[in-house]
Amino acid sequence: MSSHRVTLDINGEPHSLDVTATQTLLDALRWQLDLTGTKKCCAEGECGACTVLLDGLAVNSCLVLATELHGASVTTIEGIGTPSSLSRLQDAFLAEGAVQCGFCIPGMVMAAHALLADQPHPDAATIRDRLSGNLCRCAGYPRILRAVQLASSQADE
Amino acid sequence: MNSEIVGASVRRVGGQERVTGRYRFVGDLRLEGMLHVKLVGLDCAHARVDAVQADAARSLPGVHAVVTENDLPRPMPRFGPVHHDRPILTTGYTTYHGEPVAAVVAETEELAAHAAQLVRVDYTELPSVTTVAAALDPTSPLVQDPDRRSGALAFTNVLSESRFGWGDEPGAAELVVDEAYVFPMVTHFAIEPHTFLAAPDHDGVQVWSAVQHPFALQQVLAELLGLPLAKVRVHAPDPGGAFGGKQHAKFEPLLALIAQRLSRPVRLELSLEETFQAVRRTMFEIRLRSGFFRDGRFAFQDAECNALLGAYADIGPRVVSKSTYLMCGPYRVPSARIHVRALLSHTPPATAFRGFGTPQVVWALESQLDEAARRLGIDRLEIRLRNLAGPGEEFMRGGKPADGDWGISLRRAAEEVRWSEPLPSGRGRGVAVGIKASATTGASYAIVRLHVDGSATVLSGTSDMGQGARTVLAQIAGQELGVDVLRVRVVMGDTALVPFDLQTSASRSTVFMGSAVRAACQDIHRQLVEMAAATFQLSADQVSVTGGLVQLPSRKLSFAELLAEAFAGVGGEVIGIGSRRGEHVGTHPLGGPPAFYEFSATACEVAVDDETGELTILKHISVADVGRAINPAQVESQDEGAAIMGLGHTLMEHLLFDKRGAVRNLGALDYRIPTTKDLPLALQSLLTENGDGPGPYGAKGAGEGGLFAVAPAVASAVAEATGAVVRDLPLTPERIWRALQDTKDPSDA
Amino acid sequence: MAMLAEPRYHSPEVLDEVFTDLEHFGPSGLPFAGGTDVVVGLRKGKLAPRVMVDLKRVADLAQGIEVNDTWLRIGALTTLSRLVAHPDVRSHFPALVEAANTVGSIQIRNRATLAGNICNASPAADTAPALLAYHARIALVSRHGIRQMPVADFVLGPRRTALRAGEVVNGIDLPLDGGVAGSSFTRLTRRRGVDLATVSVCAVVDRRGTHIAYGAVAPRPFVLTDNAGVLADPHADPAARKALLTGFAAHASPISDLRGSREYRQAMVITCSERALQTAITRRHRP
Repeated sequence: MSSHRVTLDINGEPHSLDVTATQTLLDALRWQLDLTGTKKCCAEGECGACTVLLDGLAVNSCLVLATELHGASVTTIEGIGTPSSLSRLQDAFLAEGAVQCGFCIPGMVMAAHALLADQPHPDAATIRDRLSGNLCRCAGYPRILRAVQLASSQADE
Repeated sequence: MNSEIVGASVRRVGGQERVTGRYRFVGDLRLEGMLHVKLVGLDCAHARVDAVQADAARSLPGVHAVVTENDLPRPMPRFGPVHHDRPILTTGYTTYHGEPVAAVVAETEELAAHAAQLVRVDYTELPSVTTVAAALDPTSPLVQDPDRRSGALAFTNVLSESRFGWGDEPGAAELVVDEAYVFPMVTHFAIEPHTFLAAPDHDGVQVWSAVQHPFALQQVLAELLGLPLAKVRVHAPDPGGAFGGKQHAKFEPLLALIAQRLSRPVRLELSLEETFQAVRRTMFEIRLRSGFFRDGRFAFQDAECNALLGAYADIGPRVVSKSTYLMCGPYRVPSARIHVRALLSHTPPATAFRGFGTPQVVWALESQLDEAARRLGIDRLEIRLRNLAGPGEEFMRGGKPADGDWGISLRRAAEEVRWSEPLPSGRGRGVAVGIKASATTGASYAIVRLHVDGSATVLSGTSDMGQGARTVLAQIAGQELGVDVLRVRVVMGDTALVPFDLQTSASRSTVFMGSAVRAACQDIHRQLVEMAAATFQLSADQVSVTGGLVQLPSRKLSFAELLAEAFAGVGGEVIGIGSRRGEHVGTHPLGGPPAFYEFSATACEVAVDDETGELTILKHISVADVGRAINPAQVESQDEGAAIMGLGHTLMEHLLFDKRGAVRNLGALDYRIPTTKDLPLALQSLLTENGDGPGPYGAKGAGEGGLFAVAPAVASAVAEATGAVVRDLPLTPERIWRALQDTKDPSDA
Repeated sequence: MAMLAEPRYHSPEVLDEVFTDLEHFGPSGLPFAGGTDVVVGLRKGKLAPRVMVDLKRVADLAQGIEVNDTWLRIGALTTLSRLVAHPDVRSHFPALVEAANTVGSIQIRNRATLAGNICNASPAADTAPALLAYHARIALVSRHGIRQMPVADFVLGPRRTALRAGEVVNGIDLPLDGGVAGSSFTRLTRRRGVDLATVSVCAVVDRRGTHIAYGAVAPRPFVLTDNAGVLADPHADPAARKALLTGFAAHASPISDLRGSREYRQAMVITCSERALQTAITRRHRP
């Protein structure tokens, strides 16, 4: 199969990947780089489990082809915090009890992270709107929304 | 010092790994030399398979095998939790949309998917049965081969049929309400796709699956493969959502056989679409003929329940029998006749789904009570309170008496939505209750290891699928052993490491496994007393263990201090064993009385747009009678989640089939579940804690109740707001709009 | 059966290379920008191009959003999230902002382009009614130069557009001289979160008349205009207004599908147009 070499920045480090024309960023992350924090569910941009930041914006990595990303900068959940050094947002998810099974949570954290980077103090309606592309079947939504509010309230003015 | 561990909303154990993406769910595991499997199905439900032409696929470089029935043992091995009716791969016929005919094994997932498209299946499409009416029609095709069934029903699509009841023939009732209710098929839609891995393991096999019941899966695999249990190792990483859909074996037997055959590890990840074809909730049509006295009390209840299962029984018959056991709910009904059928159809197998049939039964029963209240002119809250069983009352004839003061929860729900206050037009309120008979039989064992430094490891066969079992078990161990939750490790999900647990279902883990863990800790306490007595040359009655400390006549010691002293120069640990069993009772219709009832009350206030039929839920109150909350935040989040999941089947979810029996709304684009924007404007979960449960510290099970009564509460509120009564779920804007047109018709005339 | 060839991926930097690809590969060449529909099509096997032509690095394709006295030009590569954030778009074309904000989630809007939403030619495309009601024109570029046409004429039917072989979208122009006074977009969905429209309507009241555009109720979006001033007049006889909107709704030919039945859609066409119109009129009177 023909492959394309793509050089891009992932979580602050340069990577060169050999990918096919139709390989998604999601599959490249999960299978080539073993960055399995980015999750696969619907594979059609409806669930948000695969959300990553592409040049700072939240995108569904299942709808982005790896070939498109030459020179791009990607941030995955692995680039946000570690279990022993959580980001404020990640800590807020735990403080509010927003995590149930946890499968949607990396995508939720990424979508919320992008929101707070864009708008440090969003109102409740904005939070609901900006997380509406991330499905949680445990339906921990009320606590997820509160977690984002908590992180926002702790953000520097 | 640690007396507040139980009852505290400690943070979720395993939370840090989840918010950072570091937790390895089953789909995140990689095995050396692993091959990938893709299933091949048809785009219709029922077909005769004439030929499978796989040469093109087999000839692709990197394709290792295309497995069909010809590659598997004959006769085809079958399995299932109630009947052994599900084949490892279909033989000769497909009986539901997507049922796999072949499995392609290739070097990569992409290649397997590509090769699967090259497998040509020649088939002859046959008529399919996808509705209750068709399943009951004697001229319909049979879903299962009568040769594999027995008894009088073998030549029908009725899998099982039962009648039960009590009391005299109905006497004079003031009012008889005769209505039919439909609860559609809905699917679990766990965000984690079903993923299975299998690998040969010397003279045995290892399987990885996000299964709720690893020990049940181990049993199935051992039987099918002819292996001793000890040679079948099931790894069950915490599921990324299960909701009942991951209870029983699905494609693990196929994977294990392929792994053995190819001597390679293999992996299968279902797409979301394939998951829709693998698991769904049992669909019910229930006709109720209910008699009421003038004051709203039940005179009698006649119920005809038709439950539409799929092509294989799975756990469906148990879903049907267990839920309809409480067809009369938590109410006093002097006379009842319940007629129940479980029907086979050419649809994906119906399995357990949060509530286990209860939301279906509650939808009919509670809606019927509202109808009676409207016709009798009795307040809808009042009619429930007049019928509701009091504490200790035997409401289900011959069954376990009421184990809670349920009126408290019902009244709280109503008060929270200001039940008796006037409403503006276009608004309505609803209140409804639901009750489920919880886990009945089954054993749970736990091992707790108290380490020399006072920290502890809990070994448990329970699965933590988001309900928070890890946290609760760590809290119980922490409470009993006087150790912080952060110093407790809970090991789960490996049949080679942890002791037997029957299953993680029916909200049983806190009660059954929680009791086992507590008993194991108490076993440790006994050993510590003996150890302290021996170490300090005291008699056992001079030593006691309380509050995580060892009390000697002269002083108190922490456990770690005692162990340091006792194990000096030798090392060691204290191993406690505990169990809890629910014995099988052959004479009980459920095989044994439920350990507890899970009771829930829902109240809501809605606004209806009478032009479009759109609904806004202004307020939603869910009250759960949980006995005692070990971790209140977790219990509330479970209850909130159940309530929102309940809004899914109430407002928007249903699987739809075309004439060929294919699922029309296959996938996330066309099967809608609630998002952040579909939440009630206010949602509150309240806990009733009377310490009256059979679990540790008076706990009952929880986590399912919040969805029992959502649909009837919302429908009741819609009826109050508009006069429109809807008896088919979901309450889509269009359905409400149509019902509104019907209510308007007479005035137009 | 022959093995399906993995497509090639090209990322041209100038239009000339785009045209060369499209000439060489003909209908097997698939130009794309955001890719949010294309990648799903590839996965489901609905699209099987021989070459995928990524337009995102084409330097001489119209970039960003430009404004002059008479037009606001939305470059072909403008994503929906950039579109809705643009102050001129927000002040002049609020209904387009409302419509664009309903396209998928923020993750989708960060990738998907306005031009792509139109080229995808879904009968339910949310931005289409807004573009029609604002009388937007689409600019198509090929080796032979640029041609323009109303967006209303560009979308021909489900998945069909007037795009010719060798052509790509350069941009979409919205007239600023229409004297737009009030506009509004409304739609009906199965749930409140991200969803495809069951019915969508955009109403624009400007000095030339009242324009009402409809989506998801016909094979392609369509726009109708009232020049008599009945719809724009808040004091007009409600019966006359209703009659006019009912007449408009007769142009709809909705189908029954998973999102709604024909009957429901037909009824909701009128309800949604009344509501969109009401809001547009209210906005007109806002200072």
